[in-house]
Amino acid sequence: MNHRIAKGLAAVCALVLVALPLAAQEPTIEDLIQKNLEAKGGRDAWEGIETARITGTMSFGPQEAPFAYEWKAPNKVRIEFTLQGMTGVQAFDGEGGWALMPFMGKTEPEKMAPEDAAQMKNEADFRGPLLNPEEKGYTLEYAGEEEVEGTPAYKIKVTNEDGDISYVYLDKEYYVEIQRVDERTIRGQEVVSTASIGDYKEVDGVMIPHSTEIKVSGAPEGASQVMSFEKVELNVDLADDRFAMPETSAPAEGEMAEGEGGEEPPK
Amino acid sequence: MRHPDEPRPLRRSTVAAAGLAIALAVAPTGAVAEDSISIDSATLGGLTARAIGPAVMSGRITTVDAVPGDTVTVYVGAATGGVWKSTDTGLTFSPVFDDYPQSIGAVRIDPSAPETVWVGTGEPWTRNSVSVGHGVYKTTDGGKTWELKGLEDTERIAQIRVHPEDSDTVYVCALGHLWNANEERGLFKTTDGGETWEKILYVDENTGCADLDMDSQEPDVLYAAMWQFRRQPDFFESGGPGSGLYKSTDGGATWTELTEGLPAGDKGRIAVAVAPSRPSRVYANVEAEETALYRSDDLGATWEKVNASFNVTARPFYFSRLVVDPTDYQTVYKPALFLGISTDGGESFTSFLSGVTGGGVHSDHHALWVNPEDRNNLILGTDGGLYVSQDQGHTFRHVRALPVSQFYRVSVDDEIPYNVYGGLQDNGSWMGPSRAPGGIENKDWRGIGFGDGFCAYRDPGDPDYVYSEYQGGQIQRLHLPTGELREIKPYPPAGAEEYRFNWNTPIAFSPHEKGAMYFGAQKLLRSRDHGESWEEISPDLTTDDPRWQRQKESGGLSIDNSTAENHTTIYAISESPVEAGVIWVGTDDGNVQVTRDGGETWTNVVDNIPGLPERRWITDVNASPHEGGTALVTVDGHRTGQMDTWVFETTDYGATWRSLATDDLEGYALVAQQDLENPDLLFLGTEHGLWLSLDHGGQWARFEGGMPKMVGVRDMVIQPREGDLVVATHGRGVYILDDLTPLRNLTAEILAQDVALLPTRPAEMVIPSFAWPFSGYGEYTGSNPSEAAEIAYYLKRRHVFGDLKIEVYDADGELLKTVPGSKRRGINRVSWPMRLPPPKVPPATNLVPAFEGPRALEGPYTIKLIKGKETLTGQVELVPDPRTPHSAEDRHLQQETALELYRMLEQMTYLVDALVDLRDQARSRAEAIDRARTAERLEAYADELEDFRSDLVSTSEAGWLSGDEKLRERIGALYGGVNSYTGRPTKSQLDRLEILRGQLEESFTRWEGLAAKREEHSRALERAGLEPLVLLTREAWEEREE
Repeated sequence: MNHRIAKGLAAVCALVLVALPLAAQEPTIEDLIQKNLEAKGGRDAWEGIETARITGTMSFGPQEAPFAYEWKAPNKVRIEFTLQGMTGVQAFDGEGGWALMPFMGKTEPEKMAPEDAAQMKNEADFRGPLLNPEEKGYTLEYAGEEEVEGTPAYKIKVTNEDGDISYVYLDKEYYVEIQRVDERTIRGQEVVSTASIGDYKEVDGVMIPHSTEIKVSGAPEGASQVMSFEKVELNVDLADDRFAMPETSAPAEGEMAEGEGGEEPPK
Repeated sequence: MRHPDEPRPLRRSTVAAAGLAIALAVAPTGAVAEDSISIDSATLGGLTARAIGPAVMSGRITTVDAVPGDTVTVYVGAATGGVWKSTDTGLTFSPVFDDYPQSIGAVRIDPSAPETVWVGTGEPWTRNSVSVGHGVYKTTDGGKTWELKGLEDTERIAQIRVHPEDSDTVYVCALGHLWNANEERGLFKTTDGGETWEKILYVDENTGCADLDMDSQEPDVLYAAMWQFRRQPDFFESGGPGSGLYKSTDGGATWTELTEGLPAGDKGRIAVAVAPSRPSRVYANVEAEETALYRSDDLGATWEKVNASFNVTARPFYFSRLVVDPTDYQTVYKPALFLGISTDGGESFTSFLSGVTGGGVHSDHHALWVNPEDRNNLILGTDGGLYVSQDQGHTFRHVRALPVSQFYRVSVDDEIPYNVYGGLQDNGSWMGPSRAPGGIENKDWRGIGFGDGFCAYRDPGDPDYVYSEYQGGQIQRLHLPTGELREIKPYPPAGAEEYRFNWNTPIAFSPHEKGAMYFGAQKLLRSRDHGESWEEISPDLTTDDPRWQRQKESGGLSIDNSTAENHTTIYAISESPVEAGVIWVGTDDGNVQVTRDGGETWTNVVDNIPGLPERRWITDVNASPHEGGTALVTVDGHRTGQMDTWVFETTDYGATWRSLATDDLEGYALVAQQDLENPDLLFLGTEHGLWLSLDHGGQWARFEGGMPKMVGVRDMVIQPREGDLVVATHGRGVYILDDLTPLRNLTAEILAQDVALLPTRPAEMVIPSFAWPFSGYGEYTGSNPSEAAEIAYYLKRRHVFGDLKIEVYDADGELLKTVPGSKRRGINRVSWPMRLPPPKVPPATNLVPAFEGPRALEGPYTIKLIKGKETLTGQVELVPDPRTPHSAEDRHLQQETALELYRMLEQMTYLVDALVDLRDQARSRAEAIDRARTAERLEAYADELEDFRSDLVSTSEAGWLSGDEKLRERIGALYGGVNSYTGRPTKSQLDRLEILRGQLEESFTRWEGLAAKREEHSRALERAGLEPLVLLTREAWEEREE
């Protein structure tokens, strides 16, 4: 479930920017970025976001767990979830990924396999590919109008620097993201995850989605994971070493990020 | 217009606000248009049908192509089940063509760009039940997206070839219409990737292109087989002067008919294949007065007859492929009734029939791919699915992951869970459960009859019996306990005319007389003794026109009388469930007959149907479950080339009719069903999908939830107890739309609201079934119904801003659970798993079986749908599994026991958290204080607390295999044991609960003593000017946990 958590968060956090006048007919990618950013609080506000922390609940069928997502610009991410009082961690420090899964007695962090780290890297762009895409190595193309579950949307094709393709769908009326599809190839096989994004609420002057539902190709019919955000904090103090792989053991007794920020992982 | 939920103003500077105003000004609104309450697929979209397969028998495969390599990528075209792709050498498959016509004729991978694939729709194997296509499609991204590239009126495409070096040059060999003449047929060529097409070979409006091959060394050298053919409701004709084999050496600019050595006179269907390793060698299988395999060694200039064995001559219209081994020009394959393999240039063939290879494979072969990098690797497409060989056809593995089963009719019984029955094209009759442990797997289906299957019914009068049939009215009865099969076919009385039975003969059961069974020949027959005897209850209800009874002469050059062309027969039977004695019959030659006196007198009412041409096939009659005089009729003209959707209703026993068809509909109509509760809710199956009307035919919307958009729907039935719609598709198995309650209540008033709760049926608290979970991949598994309480609501528009959630409250008004909402336009359906949230568990070094909360108690629950500022209140009802062997008292005891353990885990979590909190305070004060003795005492106190912790929870770093079982692990294990069962806990469990409760109480006593010691330490700390040790109270802990 760990990667799904991460995947969901990134999908939810796919947010965007840039600005140009409106086109009369078919929108340009610049139009869409402009309108998306305006709808969500403006380019300046988004460029001003350097860190974020989200806490909430993830649920899959009858099971649920609290989670915490921490992000620091440009590309560090740490995701925790708590099961029976024990907290699992997955993180990407900008270069590589690591994980700590204490549930079976293992208290030392482990380095992530490259394909797993690539998934974490995918989650490490809280502001999303539509904000300054070229700086982050994304190529964006307008891919036409398409309905998302019966709602008209603008489709944007996003190609990252590794050549992976995602599609971001903007609600045609409100210009905010309502769906994101990630196509990723893992050891030769493609895995597609689709995130339905919604429940936008204002946080410090920007609109942040507060819910996402993720379905992964190959999963049983109807199986999905829902992430519900209870608290979103922007520009909190997050030290770099929260994202670095600890040399010794990590959280053992259910301590999750609680909004203080900046403290080192419990040792 | 902004949505009311949207938190309007972002606090912004004036300048930025102006920018927002611009954005708002251009934002499309659409709100006004929506007031007209039109329904479309998205209105229904949150309701998804579940596929239950099966794939055990699979269905007809028409074409296969693959990309060789270490891992073979396979594309499979099914006769009526779309295109499937495997990227793991054929272990698992995914459908990649679900939004398009499901009848597939040709799939061709671009040899120079393997992500580019061409699909020609419309099956070329023109049997009686064949479907129709709609042009040629192209993907350039391996099947993720498709573009229609024209040739829409070709109806069926037999072959596609792509130039090996030029992706833009593509040849499409199109058969054209089967049932009437048309001009868009023959061989087409594009040189611009499908933007434009040129018809480069055309004979006439009755002749199409049946096969095409290309010289592997000289791609401008082409061989094309032209075929004259026509099907009528009672007749098929293969062959005529239009048929012939043609060759071009200039990429299709000019053509020469090849005749030297080929049979003179009319020819029929021809298959042609060039040997890739020696293109001067060309093979042709030619249907003629004397059908045979011919061979040329001079690029087609002259031909030699080399073989006329059984497999070469069998059913040329249905088996017409030749495949030459990519590396050996002498090895040639003839997929036909069996797979014929020749290693001597076609002079002799070995097969299952005549030799040693290929047993255990379904007969009727249409497609074969030979791996050019491994000639032992064959992929074979048959009437019974796909097979893979790794030893050149000695043995085959059946692919059990392709649910392309072609159902004709479907029925259900009333067991719990109910079973689904049906018959399939060339794949017998089957029964399978609507729910099974771990999902509905291939192994859960039971074969109940052989042959081509059609109707299958459980006997309502004796559940030991199941009836099925095979082609042409061969009805049989299976005794379920023993599996013994008995033929119960009716025979006419002495001197009477033989009975005529349709290929797909209808069986029906009386809703008024248990066990009374109807069977349709040209007369309606009834049995009241499980098929031991039959009586006629009607005269001949058909036209009995001898001009339409030509099946014995059917076939053209090759006589082909399989009963598939039997005509002037009864095809549909329906007795009114509300008025005994009212029975409707529809015939394949266009009669609608009704009796109101149980068969004494009959009236043909078809002439009362306005605007209906004569002799159109009556595909279904559905007597209304509400009114005795009301019935729905579907009519199908496709066998005369007329593709209109015809659905009519009478409310006066057939005296008058009105059309319920609208321009929304697509595909010829095959079945109609009125809902059992809401008379305005109608379901319609056509060749191109399942359609719903909420207003008695005023508007129709295609139901696409979970189903291929254009799959042919042949039959459907509503399981009355569950209110499930069970849909038989011809090509994608059976789908079940669980619980029609929300649809039954989706009224015009509801549709006009922005948001509305919809009722759902009471949620059964299904007893969990054990299922072995390690079966790996490659076996299709159908979905079970939800085992949660379903909450349904309607949103006029997609929810984007603010909260959307459902809160569940118990009878005391206590919030039990918050369920995230789904946000789509139209109907939404979300699940409450009927459990409390998982228990809090103290941290330790392993996991205990407490991932799920206890089951909620049976009874009503209040739900609140919160959408932004709006709150709607409704109710869900939890009821026990009707199969439960447990008394209400025992179920209650289970739930109370689980709840007690749940509370104990929570108490313990508080205890451990408080203890750890105190321990850590002691340690940090010890570090901070500069008085050595006090520090020492604090350390000792912390150690004492830690010792206590290690008595309560597992602390061994050996983790899951440490065997470190403490109170936490014991309570957790007991919770898991009690919580995973729905009945009374065992005596051992209840005794254990008492013991563990005692231990927990003792632990609290010990804790009180330990915690009290903090006072002493606190006094020392205060003397040193440090903060005292503070106890984490239960109240403070609860607040923290909120």
